[in-house]
Amino acid sequence: MMLKLGVFELTDCGGCALNILFLYEKLFDLLEFYEIKEFHMASSIKEHDTLDVAIVTGTVSTQRDLNLLHYARNHSNYLIALGTCATHGDVQASVEGKIREKLEKVYGTRANPMKALDSTPIVQHVAVDYALPGCPYDKDEIYQVLMNLAKGVEPPTKDYPVCVECKLNEYECVLIKRGIPCLGPITLGGCNAVCIKSQLGCIGCRGPLPKEANPASEFEILKELGYDEEYIRRKFKTFARGELRW
Amino acid sequence: MSIEIEAFTRVEGNGGAEVIIENGEVKDVKVKIFEGPRFFELLTLGRHYWDVPDLEARICAICYLSHSVASVLGIERAFGVKVPEEIMLLRELGLLGELIESHALHLYLLVAPDLFGYADAIRMASKHGEIVKEGLALKAFGNYLREVIGGREIHGINVKPGGFGRYPTIEELERMERQSEALLKLARRAVGIFAGQEYLGAKAEHYVAVNGYLYGDGLIADDGEHFDYFKCIEEKTLPYSFAKQSRYKGDVFMVGALPRVILKYEMLTPMARHLYEEYKEKLAQGYVSLNNLAQAIELVYALERTKEIARALLDKGFEGENVPIEPKEGEGIGYVEAPRGVLVHHYKIDEKGNIAYSNIITPTAFNHAIMELSLYEEAKKRYGSSDEMTFLQKLEETVRAFDPCISCSVHVVRL
Repeated sequence: MMLKLGVFELTDCGGCALNILFLYEKLFDLLEFYEIKEFHMASSIKEHDTLDVAIVTGTVSTQRDLNLLHYARNHSNYLIALGTCATHGDVQASVEGKIREKLEKVYGTRANPMKALDSTPIVQHVAVDYALPGCPYDKDEIYQVLMNLAKGVEPPTKDYPVCVECKLNEYECVLIKRGIPCLGPITLGGCNAVCIKSQLGCIGCRGPLPKEANPASEFEILKELGYDEEYIRRKFKTFARGELRW
Repeated sequence: MSIEIEAFTRVEGNGGAEVIIENGEVKDVKVKIFEGPRFFELLTLGRHYWDVPDLEARICAICYLSHSVASVLGIERAFGVKVPEEIMLLRELGLLGELIESHALHLYLLVAPDLFGYADAIRMASKHGEIVKEGLALKAFGNYLREVIGGREIHGINVKPGGFGRYPTIEELERMERQSEALLKLARRAVGIFAGQEYLGAKAEHYVAVNGYLYGDGLIADDGEHFDYFKCIEEKTLPYSFAKQSRYKGDVFMVGALPRVILKYEMLTPMARHLYEEYKEKLAQGYVSLNNLAQAIELVYALERTKEIARALLDKGFEGENVPIEPKEGEGIGYVEAPRGVLVHHYKIDEKGNIAYSNIITPTAFNHAIMELSLYEEAKKRYGSSDEMTFLQKLEETVRAFDPCISCSVHVVRL
């Protein structure tokens, strides 16, 4: 039996949907198990059907996004929040100010005919069955998750910081050795420490490490390195709004 | 009455159109960009310049490097920093990779299904697997360049003011040279495939492009003008769209592959230039759907140029050292050709190195007006003579020719 799959894009950069296409041949492996019923970036097919799996990317930034999210939730058995927009709000959710003030600054009017909302992650609006963060997420992760589901296995979730994969790759610690602001210790791993490979600090795009993170200590380390409090604060909340407390 | 295109498919982002019919005639068309606003300029205000290119990259996934590079160029100009030629060549390699990745995605996965009569490339693959595979091979190579230069296929943070986090290795440059040579024949074949596409939409009357092929320090237009974007281009907001519309000296204009090959054919590489000459008269017709043919010619250009740059860097070697930056108060504009056209990043930076003003104009916003005009022309031509299915299909194909990147278009702001 083929599983019915839908990909729904709310407001985002398009990367999370695009990353599925970047699976190349592996995408065709997935299509042995899944039949795509909705994926507007890739297909003109749109079948209003009940879905086995719905993938939702982006933030809720308009009333239309919210309606589409409810549609996806109500028509699917298993809903995956894919990417940091969907799981934590990402950069657009960290923009400060109320929506009407923002509209006024940008469009010169407080009027809101297109029903824009302050950006929020989808997990704030509906229950999700699986949350896979990353800006973008590692494409092999979504491949594994979809393969697991096709085989009836509940996909595992990761719970270790970026530092683990950094150490496994034997990269030099940019925070300790070079004083570069790296959020690796408090950020959820799964990206294979890709930015530290470039000898740059982790910018926290996978959102905060759940449970054991110690943002207060990270905050102190960065302060001792000479970064000012406002700078650190903004860096901490870039991808996950106010979720990191210290 | 009106006919609604609820949501464009096989385009990036969320948008649709409304065709307004009065007395049995097409009266007007509105292109509605309903992707939510993301307020990037507000996001970057007060942020330290070093972190800004990484944030701006997230405006768009299909052309994240165009945003990173435009942002870096704007910041470097604001500080009066000049980087050596090798750094510019490496950045260009990244932009070429992006052009290849984006054009291959657009032509093979989004447009080709129209030419062959399928709803998508996945369904098309059962009968025309070879073509889809060729497209994927090109796309994967483009992404390889993005990964090496940008640090990641999507949203890498390796392109920084003053240089890079990590420089490519000799092996990586050799691979670029080898693969670009091997893929050239696929790109040449693409030109043949897309040359047969029918004429759709309006005839572009004015073209605007960046003065260099992929990056520069100003804009040029078909009337010979060389200018800064705020001098001859005006933006206005619309009640039905989150994207603004622009006019060049009051007229509708186009940016993208077609304007590039027409305005800058002298900069094309030998084989691309030869192909341009072959289709010159056709391209001069100006129909917006010819943008796809121009993109195919640019695939050839990008592969030839990649080979050229990789070889040049291998021959002369490079230092791999960043230019140090001392923040100071300043203003700078970065001009880049994103795959779908002119991209502008304009910043004012304070003495601490924090962003005090930011304005970004993306290609889809520049094209918004001509996109609307094209749908109007196409709808007028077809209304009453095509069945509704074909009518809507052709309107979608017309929009698709612009390769619109709708998520990008909605950050257009002047603060």
